[in-house]
Amino acid sequence: MNLAECYGEMGADYQGTMQRLCSEKLIERIVLKFLEDPSFGQLQEGLEMHNHQQAFQAAHTLKGISQNLGFTKLGEASAELTDSLRKALDSTAYVQFEQVKTEYTTAIRTIEKYRAGK
Amino acid sequence: MKREQATKYKETILIVDDMEINQEILTEMLKEDYNLIKAYDGQEAIDLLEKHHLEIQLILLDFIMPQKDGLEVLREMKEKQWIKRIPVIMITSEDSLAFMHKVYELGGTEYIHRPFDRYVVQQRIKNTLMLYAKKRRLEEMVAEQVYERKKNSDMMMTIFSNIVEFRNGESGLHVLHIRIITEILCRYLSETTHQVNLSGKDISNIALASALHDVGKIAISEKILNKPGKLTEEEYEIMKTHSAIGADIVSRLEPYQEEPLVKFAYDICRWHHERWDGKGYPDGLKGGEIPLHAQIVAIADVYDALTSERVYKKAYSSHEAIQMIANGECGAFNPMLLDALFVLEDEILEALEKEGQGNHDRIFTATENIMQSLNIPVHTDSLQKKVAIQKGEKKP
Repeated sequence: MNLAECYGEMGADYQGTMQRLCSEKLIERIVLKFLEDPSFGQLQEGLEMHNHQQAFQAAHTLKGISQNLGFTKLGEASAELTDSLRKALDSTAYVQFEQVKTEYTTAIRTIEKYRAGK
Repeated sequence: MKREQATKYKETILIVDDMEINQEILTEMLKEDYNLIKAYDGQEAIDLLEKHHLEIQLILLDFIMPQKDGLEVLREMKEKQWIKRIPVIMITSEDSLAFMHKVYELGGTEYIHRPFDRYVVQQRIKNTLMLYAKKRRLEEMVAEQVYERKKNSDMMMTIFSNIVEFRNGESGLHVLHIRIITEILCRYLSETTHQVNLSGKDISNIALASALHDVGKIAISEKILNKPGKLTEEEYEIMKTHSAIGADIVSRLEPYQEEPLVKFAYDICRWHHERWDGKGYPDGLKGGEIPLHAQIVAIADVYDALTSERVYKKAYSSHEAIQMIANGECGAFNPMLLDALFVLEDEILEALEKEGQGNHDRIFTATENIMQSLNIPVHTDSLQKKVAIQKGEKKP
């Protein structure tokens, strides 16, 4: 699996990202780095502990990173979550988090598969 | 803090973002053209700025960070006035108007949206740097010109007054000394005495005008000016006319009569030989009738004359000079000025000594050349003489 296929499999925008960042090497580097990115963990922890501030910041960060990486679906899901966390930490947020979790898991699995197949 | 090696001159950019992935993307986009410094939190950014704010030409600043966020960094930069010199580009995925207003209000220059686009990021940084470089160059040019003009007018004034002094057989240092002493006295009095209210501008004008105090001597014949022995009564009367003549010369500068410098110069020329007891000349003004700036230049004139060597006398020590002035051996002065002279003695000595090490020789030489080329006799023996005042002569 090459990088473009990896993007395709998780429903991310490879072409657009390539246009913006202009370097396949850079994209690969940051995609692999995404595996260690702590923001999803922080988001989950923030929600579990009802820490509104932490949850919002982590969601916001995850949104920014996903947008930068061109992870369209994860970007959209975390953007929605960020918007509702901006107002309040309520049941909507927990529902939306499930969507974020699904997209995040897909992304991580696909990237791991890509890394294994290199 | 990590810094890339510079081979040619590169501007330095501070990237403040808590996310490694964002740092990595920006670094990749910018590392070829700039030196990069990284901070992962607002506080780290402030600490780096404390040390390196003179080297940093631009800041990329993330908005949301765990400890100290971007708006707080902007606020501190504004407080410490760094924002005036260093452009800040905010990195944001916010597009709320309220946020953008806040950024501009605190002095942020620009913002970059996520997701980053290489071309947009590079252009926005390049343009911002160019704009600021242009602004800096303009500011430097203006400062340079203001300084140049002030330097030139000071120099012209010095040359002009040196011509008078040289003809008079006095060292050009006399004018310089009076100016320094006058300035110190003015500053002290306006700081410590509530009846004296001189602005910084007044003080620099008075100091500059003091150089003209003896300009009237241009009309006194050289025979009298440089007579080695005592003047006859008749000669002395002629000599005394120099203060009124000086004021007359200044008052002929018709288009400039409203200029503060010229007004001060008029008073100083006319009344620097008046006495506190009313026994001076030309008008016999008494006490507070004599404008304070003329009194100040008068006491500075006497003090410097006493402490300098002349054809007819040796140099007195500063301490002796102040005693003589206080005893009324060399005129009668405002007690307030006598007190000030006592207090300021050390400061005056220090300032005169420091100035003696300056490059005024150049101006003296220039003046001498002008006078020689015009066949005006120069009496500059005293130019070679050292400043009589030495630190060892300070009062105990």
